[in-house]
Amino acid sequence: MNASLETPRTSLLRKAALFVFLGLLGGFVGYGVSILMGDIQTIWQDELAVLMSVVTIATGLIGAFVVATRPSTVPKGCGILQVVVMLLAGTMLLLPMFGTAVATPEVIFGAVVILLVLQSTANLMLWRTADEMLRRVMLETSAMAFWALQLCLFVYAAAERLGLVDTVSGWGLMGILMGVYFIASIIAAARRGLH
Amino acid sequence: MNNRLKVLRAERNWSQADLAEQLGVSRQTVNALETGRYDPSLPLAFRIARVFAQPIESIFTED
Repeated sequence: MNASLETPRTSLLRKAALFVFLGLLGGFVGYGVSILMGDIQTIWQDELAVLMSVVTIATGLIGAFVVATRPSTVPKGCGILQVVVMLLAGTMLLLPMFGTAVATPEVIFGAVVILLVLQSTANLMLWRTADEMLRRVMLETSAMAFWALQLCLFVYAAAERLGLVDTVSGWGLMGILMGVYFIASIIAAARRGLH
Repeated sequence: MNNRLKVLRAERNWSQADLAEQLGVSRQTVNALETGRYDPSLPLAFRIARVFAQPIESIFTED
């Protein structure tokens, strides 16, 4: 057994390394996005989707860093599955916007469907692997997101039916859904002291 | 709900990771239990009682 009662605090050097890593990550992401979006006339739906994709991939990469530097054996494989789910979700959001530069829309759509199956499988494995508190966090995230989204959807749908607001595309709604889900997950995790 | 997890763990000189491994949960879950941010399910409460060889009611008490 370990003599230390508290989990060892992160050393200053490790904290500094984490900040440097995050800074570099942010720099690369910002540079990458500016290259991708530089000459493109974007619509807000695409900008929101890119933002959510960048946030999701960055969260996945931070998770990978944590798994690599502070590996945990219990629950087995949980950390890696969380990283896989995040990275696949972020990639799936990018493909419909940028994939057509390298392949036909049909091919890109096929790739999105394959990634969706992989991501759903990883999500299911994560659910089965997770301990009871992580499952509770996932459930609370889903409940909060569902409640907020169905409320907003009703208000928007009523306003749209009355001709008071413009129609939002399915792609735009998807970006909003991702944003609400992300905020809900932050709230649910913070309530349990996860960060 | 209040609990004596931290005290019992300290008496045995276990880290949160040690206890987490014995319970089959993450270290974050042990931390959330100790800080009162999460109340365990009945099966987990029984596992905790078994690990510390004490009845559940001597570990967990109502607010």
